Amino acid sequence: MSDDFPVAALQFADSFLPAGSFTTSYGVEQFVAAEEIEDATDLQTLVETYLDRQIGPCDMVVVAAAHGAASVGDHDELRRIDRRCSAVQLPAEFRESSTRTGGQLCSLVADTEDDPFLSAYGRTVESGDAPGNYAAVLGAVAARTGMTARQAAMVQGYSFVTDLVAAAQRVLRIGHTEVQRIVTESRPAIVTAWEANADRTVDELSPFAPLIDVLSAEHERAERRLFLS
Amino acid sequence: MAAESPQDAFEAFATERLPPAADGAVGKEGRLDAAFAAVDGETRLVQDYATVPFHLTGGLDHDEALPGLETVYLQSPTGAVAQGDRHDLSVTVGEGAQAHVTTGNATKVHGMDRNYGRVDVDLTVADDGYLEYLPEPTILHADARYRGETTLSVAETASAIVGEVVVPGRLAREEAFEFERAYTRLQARDPDGLLFEDATDLHPAERDPRRPGVMGDHDVLGTLYVVGDAASDPLHERVADATTARAGATALPNDAGVMVRALGDRAAVSGALDAAWDEARRTLVGAPAPARRKD
Repeated sequence: MSDDFPVAALQFADSFLPAGSFTTSYGVEQFVAAEEIEDATDLQTLVETYLDRQIGPCDMVVVAAAHGAASVGDHDELRRIDRRCSAVQLPAEFRESSTRTGGQLCSLVADTEDDPFLSAYGRTVESGDAPGNYAAVLGAVAARTGMTARQAAMVQGYSFVTDLVAAAQRVLRIGHTEVQRIVTESRPAIVTAWEANADRTVDELSPFAPLIDVLSAEHERAERRLFLS
Repeated sequence: MAAESPQDAFEAFATERLPPAADGAVGKEGRLDAAFAAVDGETRLVQDYATVPFHLTGGLDHDEALPGLETVYLQSPTGAVAQGDRHDLSVTVGEGAQAHVTTGNATKVHGMDRNYGRVDVDLTVADDGYLEYLPEPTILHADARYRGETTLSVAETASAIVGEVVVPGRLAREEAFEFERAYTRLQARDPDGLLFEDATDLHPAERDPRRPGVMGDHDVLGTLYVVGDAASDPLHERVADATTARAGATALPNDAGVMVRALGDRAAVSGALDAAWDEARRTLVGAPAPARRKD
């Protein structure tokens, strides 16, 4: 890692960041309810599937594209990327989670970053003219706080893994050490997810996880649930 | 591992030259254009242009609950996509017209050692028009390379039901997920732009699809897109309770309608999609799904 690694990357990867990601389980709550996940090994497999089929070919591509648009101050292109992100996220509650956490991050940085570009985009999201997906907002914030696209993708991947395992810890009998082992073992998978998709454009998004889509549809109607998705 | 995007992978396949075709080989570039128009309260097939391997039946008016709807079967004597094939289908439904388009049998994508097979489908529905595009399943034989690109363009007050079933091999002979690569994508648009986009991206040798979250232990994947004024709850109840497939429904982005996904064996997935078709049809045009002549 180069010497100019920005502290901002740590700030936006930290679960201390008040973006409301604690409401997101990425369907894990339903996987546990349906007894498709019973232990740490099952959980590790699901994390890898997500990184390989969703976070890499979709979220990280959006992060990088949004980073590119925000780097040159292109507000309209950022909005186009953000809208495309919504159009390929088919499970309704995943879209809801993504725009809710993205909206919170957007209004937070509008207050804290003193950056006219981010403030302007925050107003666009607030007015409903752009959806404000988390990946798009994070990519823009990363560009404006000195991160590279790669660093932004690492922040996205790491945040995803910690959000997912933190949620799993609340619905599954699993210890802190096992949870940290999953995070540790996911580190190379996060890097792979980025490297395999770094050349993709936002017109080539191809998330593909049909069973997650079905479980998410079941979760939307679950009687008892802790998480929004 | 630097995986390439599906688009890049198929561009690379396209550079592989085909062996010289035998004299008289036809049908590599099959084309079908069908257009429906509302005439005096009925729907008529007003344009019907088909080149080998396609043939279109004349209109079948067997749908008693919906007398204004025209049904046509797209037939192919080969029923197949071979290496180097480029098939191009277009279906247009005019203002106030109602049409059901299906195929007579499954489309088999043969094994290939060069190039790939591609099918482009363009579906357009004008205001107050209604289209059902429900082809039989696509069966991906061992070593097949298949790309399917479907676009659905709907006017503001149009509605459509579009289905897709992907069978990963000749399952009865225990061939499953032995094809090389399959990528199918549907893009739906209205006059304001992209409504939603869905891709199926399978490359079994590189990534095992039978993983939790992807296909699990299921073989067949079916998706029904209901575009128009439909709610997801009734469709979910119908497919989750009344069928043996693992299935569910969710609201599509941009208030476009509802998507139903179903995984299971072929009969279960077809059953779930048929149930969803019936439910969606009752909502969109107030009529149950008819018995089909091929069933």
